[in-house]
Amino acid sequence: MTTSFNIPPSQSTPAISADWDAGVLAISGDSYPENSFDFFTATIEWIESFLAASGNRALRLDLSLVYMNTSSVKAMMDIFDLLEEAHAKGRAVSVDWYYDPRNERVEILAEEFREDCSFPFNITARN
Amino acid sequence: MDDIDFFGLRELFTRNRILLCFNGPISRSLIEEIGNALKNYLHADNAQPSAAMDVFGAYIEMTQNIRHYALRQGYGEAESSATILVARDDGGAYVVQAGNVVETADGEQLTARVGQLAGLDKAALKAAYKEQLRRPRDEAASSGAGLGLIDIARKSSRPLAARLMPMPDGKAFFSLQAVI
Repeated sequence: MTTSFNIPPSQSTPAISADWDAGVLAISGDSYPENSFDFFTATIEWIESFLAASGNRALRLDLSLVYMNTSSVKAMMDIFDLLEEAHAKGRAVSVDWYYDPRNERVEILAEEFREDCSFPFNITARN
Repeated sequence: MDDIDFFGLRELFTRNRILLCFNGPISRSLIEEIGNALKNYLHADNAQPSAAMDVFGAYIEMTQNIRHYALRQGYGEAESSATILVARDDGGAYVVQAGNVVETADGEQLTARVGQLAGLDKAALKAAYKEQLRRPRDEAASSGAGLGLIDIARKSSRPLAARLMPMPDGKAFFSLQAVI
């Protein structure tokens, strides 16, 4: 999948937009599908394709995730593992995670992910 | 059929400050719809956003664990039922409780696991969570309910409590209570 795609949000799944030309993957909203592994498969494949493509272009994740169930957390960890691997090979990858300052749980969630990542990972409060 | 003591049922709900209660077959869409009702209740109840998210999260992990278990066991509709309750205790804390029919051996294993988690402090729970998160997916799936249980324990202000009530045919009713 070497193109861009958009998945509109649903009750239990976040909005996802992947922009191949800009090298940006944006995910926002709540994520608690019953089968997160299936839900995130297309996104994970897109990241793999992008990172495998020639040109060594930078990839940035723009995240405004709020509530995540544990299977979504696991899928997100798989995504960060892909980024970590690319980073180790010298690829420019980064994450910008935005959260509502009224909900400190989201900040803690983002921080726990960041603990296992060595690439640039910014966590920013945004109303 | 005996006449249901409807007034008595109402009194029971009121006395126990029950916000939400459900008993019956649970589907994916029903989990979402009840979850929506719960979100609205918590909002109307002026719950802090972080507390509301913890209550909602405990509800989601419990009910999705029940669904995954019933699917894995190939249970029919009657056995795929869940009993769900959200209430407030005397101190104003939220109580999230869910129960389902399980094989007795699975119920005993789960109860033992809950007991282990109850002995862990927040730091140890975080370490257990990260360790479970790193386990391969198939391994995590076979042990069942691993990550979800730890997640609920981390959201709780008191140790998780589990109960197992024997039922006929080698089955038991497992219930889990989290105080947020």
